[in-house]
Amino acid sequence: MSISMSPAETTIEEGKTVGIPFSDDPKFHLRNVEVFYGESPAIKNISLDIARNEVIAFIGPSGCGKSTFLRCLNRMNDSIESCQIKGSLLLDGQDIYDPKRDVVELRARVGMVFQKPNPFPKSIYDNVAYGPRIHGLANRKSDLDDIVENSLRKAGLWNEVKDRLDAMATGMSGGQQQRLCIARAIAVSPEVVLMDEPCSALDPIATARIEELIAELSESYTIVIVTHSMQQAARVSNRTAYFHLGHLVEVNDTSKVFTMPEHELTESYITGRFG
Amino acid sequence: MTKPGSHAEREGSQAELIRRSLKRRYRKERRFRLYGITAIFIALFSLVILFTDIISKGYTGFIKTTVTLEVHLDGELMYLNDAADPEQIAMADFQAPIIKAMQAYFPEASSRADMRELSRMTGSYASNQVRDLLKENPDWLGTTRTIEFPAHDTVSVYVKHAGDPGYSIRLTEQQQRWTDELLSKGVIDTGFNDVFFTSGDSREPSNAGILGALVGSLLTMGITLVIAFPVGVAAAIYLEEFAPSNRLTDFIEVNINNLAAVPSIIFGLLGLAVFIGLFGMPRSVPVVGGLVLALMTLPTIIISSRAAIKSVPPSIREAAEGIGASKMQVVLHHVLPLAMPGMLTGSIIGMAQALGETAPLLLIGMVAFIVEIPDGFFSSATVLPVQIFIWAGSAEQGFVELASAGIMVLLAFLITMNAFAIWLRKRLERRW
Amino acid sequence: MPTKKDDVYGDHISNRFNDELLALQTRFLKMGGLVETQIDSAVKALIEGDGQLAEEIRSKDKLVDRMEMDIDEEAMLIIARRQPTARDLRLVISVIRMVADLERVGDEAKKIAKFAIKLLDEGQSPQGYVEVRNISAHVMTMLHDSLDAFARLDSEQALRVMKEDKRVDEEYQAAARTLLTFMMEDPRNISRCMSVMWVLRSLERVGDHACNIAENVIFMVKGEDVRHTPMEEAERVVGR
Repeated sequence: MSISMSPAETTIEEGKTVGIPFSDDPKFHLRNVEVFYGESPAIKNISLDIARNEVIAFIGPSGCGKSTFLRCLNRMNDSIESCQIKGSLLLDGQDIYDPKRDVVELRARVGMVFQKPNPFPKSIYDNVAYGPRIHGLANRKSDLDDIVENSLRKAGLWNEVKDRLDAMATGMSGGQQQRLCIARAIAVSPEVVLMDEPCSALDPIATARIEELIAELSESYTIVIVTHSMQQAARVSNRTAYFHLGHLVEVNDTSKVFTMPEHELTESYITGRFG
Repeated sequence: MTKPGSHAEREGSQAELIRRSLKRRYRKERRFRLYGITAIFIALFSLVILFTDIISKGYTGFIKTTVTLEVHLDGELMYLNDAADPEQIAMADFQAPIIKAMQAYFPEASSRADMRELSRMTGSYASNQVRDLLKENPDWLGTTRTIEFPAHDTVSVYVKHAGDPGYSIRLTEQQQRWTDELLSKGVIDTGFNDVFFTSGDSREPSNAGILGALVGSLLTMGITLVIAFPVGVAAAIYLEEFAPSNRLTDFIEVNINNLAAVPSIIFGLLGLAVFIGLFGMPRSVPVVGGLVLALMTLPTIIISSRAAIKSVPPSIREAAEGIGASKMQVVLHHVLPLAMPGMLTGSIIGMAQALGETAPLLLIGMVAFIVEIPDGFFSSATVLPVQIFIWAGSAEQGFVELASAGIMVLLAFLITMNAFAIWLRKRLERRW
Repeated sequence: MPTKKDDVYGDHISNRFNDELLALQTRFLKMGGLVETQIDSAVKALIEGDGQLAEEIRSKDKLVDRMEMDIDEEAMLIIARRQPTARDLRLVISVIRMVADLERVGDEAKKIAKFAIKLLDEGQSPQGYVEVRNISAHVMTMLHDSLDAFARLDSEQALRVMKEDKRVDEEYQAAARTLLTFMMEDPRNISRCMSVMWVLRSLERVGDHACNIAENVIFMVKGEDVRHTPMEEAERVVGR
């Protein structure tokens, strides 16, 4: 059909993902992942590799399972009782859902930043120091001070808050709070940072700061970001994964996804035809 | 939308419609506001009436009427040679010198009937007072001493409430005359009722005090707090954070909610059967009272604590979990401190409820007449509301005002407790 | 599968986005139509020696220029407002590129009209006009076909246009040689022949621009850039 300009793929089939879902050096090796809430499936047989030190963005319409999938990666779904997870999820070759595996250790390696900035109602210092404290990462006060300063520096917040570390974190602006949450997450030196729509509650300038920060962090961390803003995915990520009704429809280099997606659904979504 | 004119016309008429409906809306809003103000006014008015009534009736409870006499402690008159001899003390007549001292003012009163009337000017425990003084100071025998006696209930009522239709004057005309005269001479006088705050219950209103009940209430509340708060909070935390959601948990939850609605007297029955019957604890002691009230308060504390825990934003929980805090750390470091003010409020409300509770305590015998001030968790005691209940039901007129005064003390206790709770809350909230 | 262009660009959630894209396409095609007429008229003015028509063409070129600017601005606004992606992005980008080609074609028409006036002043010289007619017919078809390919999103037709370009080049070479012989035959012809040469040159350029438009149509439809690539590569892309 010569007149059609539709991408080659138009159908979704369970377990089939177009593009390049696999990697030679995966940080996360995820195969045939299925998630159920009670009886209803939320994630339908997804296989994906997340490469070391890449920024991968999960996009898709609401309820497509991208957040659910993200939360599988550090077992944040554990607290939801009706949530069942099947398939093989490996972090550096070790099973994430091994019953013997300590979820605390996992979460220290796979940090998370949430949609709404959620600093503890404590001082800025205590917020950042909380993780290192509970994991016993610093034995002396000076070590802890160093960790706090480094984390705040990495999060681009040090200059703004260095004179008021004792101030309540909840008194900061939304963007600062979110950067504080990022500082808090990286204070325990995780290998992966999961971000669940980190900018959805922020204004464009704060968003730009966070995106800048993501670009800087990508040098030393693997970052998985769920976002509703396609432009954000286009700006910050190396690869983009498009989720649709629990399927992983397409994973491709971000530049490819936003100029010439391989799947019709991806194209429909990113061009604003539904979703 | 055919002609521009019709569009403008329609716009005009629509604005008119809106204006009309606006009027109606504003009227409705005004009416609604009025209802609210009326409701608040009624509530305030009732409160004012209640307080005025209690204070106007009760303030006299804080005033005592005294009769100060020069008593010659004449051994012969009392048939007493040696005040150190307990046998003689037991036999002696301590009323005689008091009557004698009164007769000094009214020499004409010498008949037996007059003397009986004279003796009923001072309280019925006046002779006991003399006896106790002599027991303590045997060397006073034969000397003349100035002793302040509480006036007899009837005299006190006459002095404080003459002309008050709520009280009947039971004094004879002669006694009234005497009283007026003694008042003018300053023998009968009124003053701040320190007895009310320093003694326990008594058969005689002028000797009765609230201290016993106050201490009893404190001890009971102490037990209640120590038991109900930790148990309630722990139960709430477990149910909210750790319990798996299954039929058993649901069953427990339903039962806790039902328990909150159980009439308090049932808890009294339970206390009677379990603590006194089964465990053989003594009756009318603060421990049992406290335990019963703790059981009664538990559901309230559990429910309010759960609500407080639930109101902790899940984002905080997620944040802590996301960093790798264990369940326990999440609860101890984040949930509990944030829920604490709410838990405290719930607990204080429960405690206040318990403080005002009478029914279950009646069943475990805390209604007994107890003169001594309780000195421990295992000594017999009564509590404020029960004391008020006892006084309100007593025959002597003097107890009526004491009951009202007791209510004021109870209210003051409650207000203090609430104020403390608010202060504690503020402090905790500021720390976070 | 969508077969009409309305379906391809017209099913966004935002109707105004649909309208904007549609307006961009329509305007571009309108400009294409105008430029086609310009070339057609220019060749006609040259061959028939119609000076008035040639003047008209020169003045109409201003309209072409303004249309170019309007379309550019509209495309810019769409990018600023809608941040188009995928096929929408490719449409906007292609239009921006193609509109420049169209403007150049318009310039070529103006140039031909100028030479038509010049040749008219110098007196008729039928030499070379056969070649002009041939080539112009050829490039006119190419231009028309490329615009048609754009309108119908027909990448195969676009590929055919690209292939035509080679033949136009050959025709141009042949025509140039013919004119060269005319000039060698009679040096007095040189001036006129040079003018005709320039016209031929312009027409050849029009063919190149039509080819560019066809390349952009392929990029728009298939998502791959076939500029500066061998023909086999373009064939592979279209054949996918």
